[in-house]
Amino acid sequence: MTESHELWLRQIDAELDGELSLIERSALAKHLASCSHCSGARASQLEVRVALARSAGNAHARVVPRPTIRGRALAFWVTLALLAGAAVGWLAYGRWGGPGSGSVEDARAAIVVP
Amino acid sequence: MPGRRSWSRSVLAAATLLLALQAPGTRLTYRVAVVERVGADSHVVARGSVSGGLDTDLRLALRTDSADIEALFQVTAEAGEDTLTLGAEFFTKRRLGRSRRGLPLWEQDNYRRVVRLAWSDTARIHPFGRPRPDAPRGLWIELVPERGFAGGEARPGEELHVADPAIDVRLEAVVRPRRARVIFNLVRGDTVSAPVGLDLVPDAPPRRLQLVLAGRRTALEVGLARPEPAASARDRVLALDADVVCLRVGLAGAALPVGVLCGRLNNVARRLPLFASDTLLATFVWPGGR
Repeated sequence: MTESHELWLRQIDAELDGELSLIERSALAKHLASCSHCSGARASQLEVRVALARSAGNAHARVVPRPTIRGRALAFWVTLALLAGAAVGWLAYGRWGGPGSGSVEDARAAIVVP
Repeated sequence: MPGRRSWSRSVLAAATLLLALQAPGTRLTYRVAVVERVGADSHVVARGSVSGGLDTDLRLALRTDSADIEALFQVTAEAGEDTLTLGAEFFTKRRLGRSRRGLPLWEQDNYRRVVRLAWSDTARIHPFGRPRPDAPRGLWIELVPERGFAGGEARPGEELHVADPAIDVRLEAVVRPRRARVIFNLVRGDTVSAPVGLDLVPDAPPRRLQLVLAGRRTALEVGLARPEPAASARDRVLALDADVVCLRVGLAGAALPVGVLCGRLNNVARRLPLFASDTLLATFVWPGGR
């Protein structure tokens, strides 16, 4: 794929997101009329977006709906992450301990008479 | 009767030998070897000895990047027994990591270990605790207490050969003075009296001391005492004040002392103000050795 095709594909993306000016849209339309590869890419991009809009429950949307984060869901996931972190920390402390872990006697000198 | 005479001579010789081994003429030697094991190979990284009278202790220090092991070893031997009790007071510090300010954090511990063994047996000391069987490296200290004739040698001796300069090991003989020589001078302004030396025994009754300065006699009573136990745990455990004595000075005939001077037997003159413009200079030294 050439560099100019890469550029046109990015322009197709931007057009479908409604981010192109009129001049850019006109230039893209001219190119699509003469390039079957790019017009095919545009059609498949549109199909993907339709599929995404359907899965988001709005098949007639003008653009792909952006996922929204609800406050309650965010609070739930943050709480869950904190609880998981605390549980892992507690388990790790029990397993490996903090500084100076292990029995005091194990770390003390031993005198052995063979 | 030659046979009987020879038998009695043997008994006498054996009794003399036994007495000599238990008497103050016995010399105690701590033979020390620091051994490092890497894999299946072990080699001596330092070797040395400390010797002296039976009351000589061994102070051992072993330092690594992450640990600081200091110990005071003492031998207690009963007369007529072939075994001895080896006691060790440990004072250890281990580096645990770093603080949030980037300074090293150390864990400090002190404890006592006691084992019973025969003379010339080897005690193996694992300074970092008993090693795991699967540990790839290990380091231990082999200590052999031996006894022999003093042969007129009463001074303590130290010897150390370090084969691996990366290891920091020290051996010191620790001897508590049975007596101390104290040299006294009286100072008044620029005038100093003639020195008077006394051999003093710690905790013995005080002795009378007379110093003459510019034709005036000053009579004092002086006595030696052991210092109070050190405030620091390390100093106490390692007997760092073993050679410190305290001199109690009083006026002859007076009940209360004038003052107390404490110091090491290190030939340093210490001053004690007496009265008016008189100052007593006392220098503590070890008594002359053989």
